[in-house]
Amino acid sequence: MIQVRRGRGGWRNKKVNSAALIFAFLAFALVPSGCSSKKNAAQAGAASSGAPSTLGEQGLTGPSSSSLAQFQRGTLGRSRDTSPLADIHFDFDDYTVRPQDSEILRRNAQWLEAHGNPRVQIEGHCDERGSEEYNIALGAKRAQAAKDYLVTLGVPADRLSTISYGKELPLCTEHTEECYALNRRAHFVVLQ
Amino acid sequence: MKPKLLGTLRRRGPVNVFLVALAATIFSVALAASGLAQIKMEIVGPGSRQFQIAISALKDLGADPNHAISDDFVWVLRRDLTLSSFFKIISPEAYIEDPQQSGYKLGEFNFDDWSSINAEFLVKGAVYQDQGKLALEVYLYDVVQRRQALGKRYLGSRDKVAEMARRFADAILEVTTGQRGPFDSKIALVSTGGGRFKEIFTMSVDGRDIYRVTNNNTINLFPSFGRDPNELLYTSYKSGFPALYLVDLAHGREIEIRSRDGEIVDGALSPDGRTIAASIAQSGATNIYLLDRSGTILRTLTHTNSINVGPAFSADGQMIAFTSDRAGTPQIYLTSVNGGPVRRLTYRGDYNTTPAISPKGDRVAYQSRNGNKFDIYLISIKGGEPTRLTNDDASNQHPSWSPDGRYIVYSATRNGSSRLYLMLVETGKIVSALTEGNSYDSSPTWSWWLAQ
Repeated sequence: MIQVRRGRGGWRNKKVNSAALIFAFLAFALVPSGCSSKKNAAQAGAASSGAPSTLGEQGLTGPSSSSLAQFQRGTLGRSRDTSPLADIHFDFDDYTVRPQDSEILRRNAQWLEAHGNPRVQIEGHCDERGSEEYNIALGAKRAQAAKDYLVTLGVPADRLSTISYGKELPLCTEHTEECYALNRRAHFVVLQ
Repeated sequence: MKPKLLGTLRRRGPVNVFLVALAATIFSVALAASGLAQIKMEIVGPGSRQFQIAISALKDLGADPNHAISDDFVWVLRRDLTLSSFFKIISPEAYIEDPQQSGYKLGEFNFDDWSSINAEFLVKGAVYQDQGKLALEVYLYDVVQRRQALGKRYLGSRDKVAEMARRFADAILEVTTGQRGPFDSKIALVSTGGGRFKEIFTMSVDGRDIYRVTNNNTINLFPSFGRDPNELLYTSYKSGFPALYLVDLAHGREIEIRSRDGEIVDGALSPDGRTIAASIAQSGATNIYLLDRSGTILRTLTHTNSINVGPAFSADGQMIAFTSDRAGTPQIYLTSVNGGPVRRLTYRGDYNTTPAISPKGDRVAYQSRNGNKFDIYLISIKGGEPTRLTNDDASNQHPSWSPDGRYIVYSATRNGSSRLYLMLVETGKIVSALTEGNSYDSSPTWSWWLAQ
């Protein structure tokens, strides 16, 4: 069983400063529909249903939290992540971008371009197997692989930084293959 | 008395590293021994004959009315001599004389009281005040030859009694076996202290004298000592990115070493404390560099596009063992600090990491994966067939050598909790659990002796 608890329903209230609000509003106005990722659409969440003409509503995108900040708050893997960019995942002891994840990176690159290429920190993570130090180095390779891929998609390299947390910040702490697969990830944090 | 829980320490709140400075060092004076002809015993394998030793309670000469100091001293001494495997301690119930009535100096007690219970060695001593300080005067007697083998006087505060006992145990081992014991030292470790954040602590080899080095609620990893037990290097994410921190445990001062172009993974402090071997990730590759104490790169020790991590110095500071996946799987390699050729050491197993070179420089301990867990292995520095040291249901990791090279401290993980154990290398047997409880204790690293 994967023990990632989703949020207790609904979209967490988040303080958004006015600059971010304006930025997000402009961004919303500029984003062609269909461009936002599945995850982002899910986060918009609260749009009412059933009514023939609905009030447009979208989750406002402020800076998202690093996995370390979420871990410090005790929310890592427990509540919905705030990043508008979806994670990609890796095979065991591997750092190559999987073919099935290239579409996620393409959507992430499109989102970044549509939002003026904000600065992004790419986190590399590993599952619990292996030694701490080797996993930090492996996480660095994963973050770099994700960065390199985004750069080939046209994201300016100077907007992308990397950090590895090795196996220190798992989303899920069960000792199962499902859990390990979820933890072997590159996570994208929008810095602003 | 049981080893303290790191988990319980946390509830007492953070211990500022400055407190370590207040715990003044103890002073010891070697007391003139009558005739210094030492008996030396060959250190031989397991099952060799053990010395029968009696450890008498210390005589109270005004400073220990309820014998708590004596109890403390005797408990630690008994434990350490038992751990050494060289001594069999005769039960106090067999002792004939009353330690509070008889004398403790040569000529003030009757050797017959001890030879009649088959004691070959005897510890006697006294506790008194000397110029406002606590004084422990302790002797090791050779009951067979009816002479004094060792005499020491330790001066210090009450909280140093256990340290005095550890130091006396080391001296007893030196005079009887020719090899100083390893107990007057400390172990640094990573512990969650029952919470979720990995923080750095130090403790004595009997699990006491616990000090919290970090308290930043982030990620702190890879403690590393040089020869100076008051200086500790570790990796921390406390500034939001991984950096190395070199902390002076005696004064609380700390140097941050960050990498401008890459990302710090881990580091090891050289025995002389002048350099640091650090692994730094850059553009995906992680290589090992020799840095000075300001973080300036002196030399690049590995040059690959793969992973090179976990540097560990030899005791002479000349060699570095590390882990690399340059051949496809993580294996142990050796190189010189001068940047010489790299030699692969391990060929068995497909995931070997976390090497530690023995103090004599003849062997390397490391962890190797067996299925979903690790075990500790030993291999000659020349290579060849490794010897498996652990074989149980736990995942056994992070071997670190005692300064005398007879023990390895390591972590054993079961059901999500991880504890530290001491193993006697010559037997491969666990001789003591160092921590207990639900804390996650890992990455132990054994210091050099406290008294240089």
